[in-house]
Amino acid sequence: MPPTPGHTVFMVDDDEAVRKAISRLLRSAGIASAVFASPSEFLAQYNPDTPGCLVLDMAMPDLDGLQLQTALNEKGCILPIIFLTGHGDVSKSVQAMKQGAFDFLSKPAKDKDLLTAVRAAFERDTVVRQERAKLSEIRTRLDALTPREREVLQHVVSGKLNKQIAGDLGIAEATVKMHRAHVMEKMKVESVAELTRLTERFGIN
Amino acid sequence: MSWITVLWSINVGACLTLAAMYLAIWSRGRESLPRLLFSCIAVSAALIAAYEVQLIRADTPEEYSAILRWRPLSTWVLVLSLVGFTRLYLRAGRSWLALSACGLQTLTVIVNFLFTPNLYYREITAVRQVSWAGETISVPLGTPSPWILLNQATLLLLLAFFVDATITVWRRGDRQRALIVGGTTTFFGAIVAVQFALVVWGIIQVPLFASFAYLGIVVALGYQLCDDAVRAAHLASELQIGEERFRRVVEAAPNAMIMIDQESQITLANQQAEKTFGYPREELLGRPIEMLLPERLRSRYRDFRQEYLSDPQSRPMGAGRELLGLRKDGSEVPIEIGLSPIHTSKGLLVLASIVDITERKAAELEAARQRHDLAHLARVTALGELSSSLAHELTHPLTAILSNAQAAQRFLTNDDVDLDEVREILDDIVTQDQRAGEVIHGLRLLLKKGDLQEHCDDVDLNEVIREVINLMRSDLINRNVTVDTDLAQDLPSINGDRVQLQQVLLNLALNGCDAMAGYNCSERRLLIASQWENGAVRVSVADRGCGIPEEKMQQVFERFFTTKKEGMGLGLSVCRTITDAHRGKIWATNNAGGGATFHLSLPIVRAEKDAVVITNQGELNKTSAAMAVAGSPVSLL
Repeated sequence: MPPTPGHTVFMVDDDEAVRKAISRLLRSAGIASAVFASPSEFLAQYNPDTPGCLVLDMAMPDLDGLQLQTALNEKGCILPIIFLTGHGDVSKSVQAMKQGAFDFLSKPAKDKDLLTAVRAAFERDTVVRQERAKLSEIRTRLDALTPREREVLQHVVSGKLNKQIAGDLGIAEATVKMHRAHVMEKMKVESVAELTRLTERFGIN
Repeated sequence: MSWITVLWSINVGACLTLAAMYLAIWSRGRESLPRLLFSCIAVSAALIAAYEVQLIRADTPEEYSAILRWRPLSTWVLVLSLVGFTRLYLRAGRSWLALSACGLQTLTVIVNFLFTPNLYYREITAVRQVSWAGETISVPLGTPSPWILLNQATLLLLLAFFVDATITVWRRGDRQRALIVGGTTTFFGAIVAVQFALVVWGIIQVPLFASFAYLGIVVALGYQLCDDAVRAAHLASELQIGEERFRRVVEAAPNAMIMIDQESQITLANQQAEKTFGYPREELLGRPIEMLLPERLRSRYRDFRQEYLSDPQSRPMGAGRELLGLRKDGSEVPIEIGLSPIHTSKGLLVLASIVDITERKAAELEAARQRHDLAHLARVTALGELSSSLAHELTHPLTAILSNAQAAQRFLTNDDVDLDEVREILDDIVTQDQRAGEVIHGLRLLLKKGDLQEHCDDVDLNEVIREVINLMRSDLINRNVTVDTDLAQDLPSINGDRVQLQQVLLNLALNGCDAMAGYNCSERRLLIASQWENGAVRVSVADRGCGIPEEKMQQVFERFFTTKKEGMGLGLSVCRTITDAHRGKIWATNNAGGGATFHLSLPIVRAEKDAVVITNQGELNKTSAAMAVAGSPVSLL
């Protein structure tokens, strides 16, 4: 698998030897990493725009892995989290799973398992980031519509004809046509089907 | 027959009989000089009585003078014997009085023989026959000699001596002897003095009957001596009974009893002694006590004997030391010895009561083994609680090792291998491997049952605290407990078993964590502190839990007392057992701000020259040597 440029593994573990060894392993596979001795240290330096994934030790003093996950979720952070767990962390693992953990590896983790998980996480991160970008683009387009155009859009995606829309809104059919053209233009779509697919995600129909 | 003859003959006979009796008694043992002196007194009294009866019957002045001439000699013997008797028997009377009286008496005898006819008369002109109480008696007529005053002076001096002796004895509290010996002698002496003066100066005309006064003295003294003899016989029989009883008690004693004299020869041994040492009695008596001691202990015994004889008291021999006896078959037997000095006329005897403690030793060993097992069980239980955390403790180095190794494998597949990087990785692997090894080693130490034998070392409790915190690291993280430490600098070492002390602190720390389980995470703090004072090191473990109800303060250290659902109630009781074995103390207090503190106080090591347990004293630092306190190395679990 080729190196993944631009992605970084953020690793939080209280054991320095473990941090050093894993970052070394990642480097051997051409993966960049940033290590942190504690969750708070990570939170202080974390930049949400940097793509990558988080490798998190479950048991740590102060904040543990689970609490960091909770904190990140609250912040709307999208980094996929791979948990490294020791033995006997079953209940915490379940909790982490419910909170949307990406993967679990038990210590000591084999290189293949770790690298596979990291790469999968990177892909997920890429996908999520692209998705996010797309959504925010659509959001921008939607925000550009006038209130009347938005009304027309809702009627269009619900499959109504211009005549019906004109009737419902109490305006002339020609006016509906004009608004409709504006909507198609502002939303950068060619067909009603495409418009419907875009707006589905925002619950407009 | 003349009653005078009868009476005086009885007098003579009585005196001679008594004299013969006591002479015979004296000649048996020749120990009691007063008895011999008494015989002399009685014989003299008999002689005087004989002279008197002859004087009564004397017909001519010559005859009278001749008889009278010998009389002072008898008196002299009597007086000297009486004075000697008084001095020896009553141990009273001033010596200058005694000496003066005896001197004067001797002088009268000399004077008596220097002048004719005798001491009493310058001359006796005639002997007159007078009728007296139905008998015809001879009464001398003549000029009394002025030397007679010497005689009277002697008598007065003697009376003074007897009065003085009597008063002394009376004051001493021995009233019977004062009355019978002193009083009688004084009384009859006075009679003699008065009567003699009256007769010699011719004031009254009666026969001399001083011999009856002497008879009174002889009878009184004889009575007293007889009384003494009866008492002595009584005491002797009592002594015999006592001795017999002593022998029976010794014989029946459940302990082996051996009596030795000053030369360490065995003079008495009972049945149990035969049984304990396997020798028949005949082979013990008269033999040196050393035969019952193993060779290597004999010189120590001799030192001890020296020391004991310089201050003999009832006390246990070699308290706290291992004492061994040697049986006839050459085997050794652990014993305990109590010594009692017995002062006798033959010198100091020592009675040793010897207990065979083989069975007790075995029982003690068994008890120690059980405590040891229990402590081990408790330790394993405590570690069981920690097991998942301890496994976690291993996963850190294992993770680091695996990742490092696999990183190295990957680096090595590159064309351009960074050897420095690989070297660094290998170094890290070695370090992490050692780290894992240490975890396992520490665990193994704690899990190992170990020997029952004492293994004492100088232990730095600060180090033990750090080791325990390390051991609990993962567990503390899991429980969200923060540990703060406040450790004293330059803490003196204590002497003990490192593993067991770790166990105590581990227990206390785990207990503290348990006590805080239900509390808010930010409240879960444990403070472990060490300090030293008054010859002891104190470690305290303070939690912020719910504390201990006052009424349960003592109970918490009892076996099977627990407040935890899954607890066995062993932890703290084992802590106490271990602490006791270290001659330390363990107790609990409640904190003012909530929670409880457990304190462990252990005596600081001291150099002990004859410790039972040979310990590795190592290098005592100066502080601890200066702080040396009582408390020898301990017999551990």
